Amino acid sequence: MAKIKASYKVPILTGEIKIPKVVPGASAYEKMYPGIKEDMLAIGFPASLEDGWETKAVGIFKQLLTHNKALKTYMDICVRCGACTDKCQFFLGTADSNNMPVGRAELMRRVYRYYFTPAGSLFKGLADAEPFSEKMIKKWFTYYYQCSECRRCSYFCPYGIDTAVITMAAREIMDGIGIGQKYATEIIHKVFKIGNNLGIPPAALRNTLDDLEEEINEATGKDIKIPMDVEGAEVLLVPPSADFFAMPHMESLIGYAKVFYKAGISWTVSSYASEAGNFGMFIGSYKNTKEINKRIWDEARRLKVKRVVVGECGHAWRALYNFSNTMNGPFDFLDGKYKQPTHICDFTLGLIKDGVIKMDPSANDDKIVTFHDSCNVARASRMGDTKDGQLTIPRELIKACANHFFELRDGANKAQTYCCGAGGGILTDEVMNVRIAGSMPKMQVIKEVMDNKGVNFLALICAICKTQFTNMYPLYGFDKEMVGGVHQLVSSAIIL
Amino acid sequence: MIDLNFLSGVYVLLTYFAAAIFIIGVLIKIIVYAKTPMPVKIALTPAPQTKAGSVGRVASEILLFKSLFRANKPTWVAGYIFHVSFIILILLHFARHFIYHYHNGVVSLPSWYPLFVNAGIVFGILMFLSLFYLLFRRMIVDRVKIISIFSDYLILIILMMIAIAGLSMNFLISASALTKIDNRLDPFINGIATFHPINIPSNPYFLVHYSLILILVAYIPFSKVMHFVGVFFSPTRYMTDNPEEKRYYKPNAKDLSL
Ligand code: SF4
Ligand code: SF4
Ligand code: SF4
Repeated sequence: MAKIKASYKVPILTGEIKIPKVVPGASAYEKMYPGIKEDMLAIGFPASLEDGWETKAVGIFKQLLTHNKALKTYMDICVRCGACTDKCQFFLGTADSNNMPVGRAELMRRVYRYYFTPAGSLFKGLADAEPFSEKMIKKWFTYYYQCSECRRCSYFCPYGIDTAVITMAAREIMDGIGIGQKYATEIIHKVFKIGNNLGIPPAALRNTLDDLEEEINEATGKDIKIPMDVEGAEVLLVPPSADFFAMPHMESLIGYAKVFYKAGISWTVSSYASEAGNFGMFIGSYKNTKEINKRIWDEARRLKVKRVVVGECGHAWRALYNFSNTMNGPFDFLDGKYKQPTHICDFTLGLIKDGVIKMDPSANDDKIVTFHDSCNVARASRMGDTKDGQLTIPRELIKACANHFFELRDGANKAQTYCCGAGGGILTDEVMNVRIAGSMPKMQVIKEVMDNKGVNFLALICAICKTQFTNMYPLYGFDKEMVGGVHQLVSSAIIL
Repeated sequence: MIDLNFLSGVYVLLTYFAAAIFIIGVLIKIIVYAKTPMPVKIALTPAPQTKAGSVGRVASEILLFKSLFRANKPTWVAGYIFHVSFIILILLHFARHFIYHYHNGVVSLPSWYPLFVNAGIVFGILMFLSLFYLLFRRMIVDRVKIISIFSDYLILIILMMIAIAGLSMNFLISASALTKIDNRLDPFINGIATFHPINIPSNPYFLVHYSLILILVAYIPFSKVMHFVGVFFSPTRYMTDNPEEKRYYKPNAKDLSL
């Protein structure tokens, strides 16, 4: 839990989102901790900047340009129309022009023009072209880690220019020359070493699950289990590892357990694939993303399950839904009847619709609920069969579990959702001011429904969002108990 | 080619040169964009699940600037007016070729020809005004000003100068001089197209207009104007959202990038 420091700049909530006057460099002071040697080396990157890094960086850049259509076109076709300039929560919060999506992208385009366009190499200054320099890399390291890869900019850009693609490429180039970010590289290292982002070893995990089972037992009087490493279970459930340890995440895990119990479907979590999250994606590393993703499918094979269900986690769902089949498919060893993977919300709602489990929404009558669309779900990864299932399914599920539900304001909701301010690998305390600034637009619209509708519960489907809002609420003066998972609502409402 | 005057010789060469740069440059970009693999699915959702749906999505961007409309209404209005006028003006210029009829040096024009000319003037003015707004916005709005680079102003200024030079022929020179240009322009372009070049109309207003167009045409492949090709190749927009239903796999992109 973040300590409240005097140096934190917490905006005053008015319910309005104002477009600030541009202040170049306003958030230049917030920087990530650099990657630690062991972590960098363990996941295949040099430990620090080495001689000849410029050439190496150009080489990686070139390779990315020739192997990633999005990066190549997005380097070329931006017309600097400015349509995206007021769309990023980090610009709205910090006023720093380098946090405008196009401002962020231009940090890379400047280098692109220098090495890869005739105008850039001929006219340099006039073409606004610049070679790699330590100064430039410093800027990259600052601003490509003030982007949550939320893709709100892409939604509004006339060409769909996705700054997340550019951010990922920048991080990949930096990692390749030894400029890494401690938070993400450490976590990836932990996944390979121990199996999850939090570094929880199997025995400790079992202990926690035992405690949790006891707790559920006391509360419900039912013998509800959270099985681990059970061969031949029907479902392998892969939650974000925060669901095992953090609050309010654990409430959702309890919710999943109750659903499986009541539906009578055998299930298991895995100590080897105990993490749905994929920080390889955050740093744009195909290799690491694929390796992390592979653990889940290897484990599904080993445990001989029929299907894989994924817990509440935004970017995890993106990486699993979009990339699994490409990177580690096809999944013909699993049951073809089901979506592989299936989102837990889709899974639970399906059981409700089929009448397998029943809800008593009045159990949540103390709550007036609103829902934050996690950007990696809303703008990147469908659930269910219909085009916008990722928007409708969680809402239907919430409405099945609670009687009082209000939407956030249009323009900050559904596909236009603002990020919570901490996605994309920036959920770390050294950039707390950036996280606070990035959370501002969403907090404003939450404040609006708090004032107008009396909303007292923010339902989430993302581990990062949960941690971020649990950190932000007290800073803005709200009780952190007002934040929780959609399956926390399921957990209270399900008739056992 | 033998009886070309010096000026025409220069212009004929420049015309072929600009056209060659344009065609080769654009083709190279198309090939590069088409051939560069996209390693994973990155459709911006909610996205269509079928090819037809994606074609519709890209078409709505190209024909209606749907995302820009959602993002910024004034910019959409100006941008849309500019693009539509620009395209219409290009089409009107091409249409001249089919409207003019020559028989042994005698020109015959349809009765509605003045209407045709007036349409050109109206769209020319609209093009200029929308460009002016875009330039004004670029200089006034702090967020846009700070990201603008030299080439952003350059392209606006070239286009505005083309519009002014084009309009000036309708307002600043005598009707007889204009008719003289008109009567010689189509044969000149036909000559270029059939590789039997003849002399260029030598009116200075026309030459300025024509020179600027040659500059624009040759500059396009190196400029952000290439968005007119790139918009077809933007993965967030053209990709279908069906990674689970149909395995997406590009062996030539393997393990290299995300
Ligand atoms: S909206 Fe797109 S084209 Fe316009 S400035 Fe932003 S990234 Fe560039
Ligand atoms: S991806 Fe999100 S965080 Fe990054 S620049 Fe775009 S809007 Fe901002
Ligand atoms: S943490 Fe939540 S809101 Fe933020 S990037 Fe992830 S999914 Fe989006």
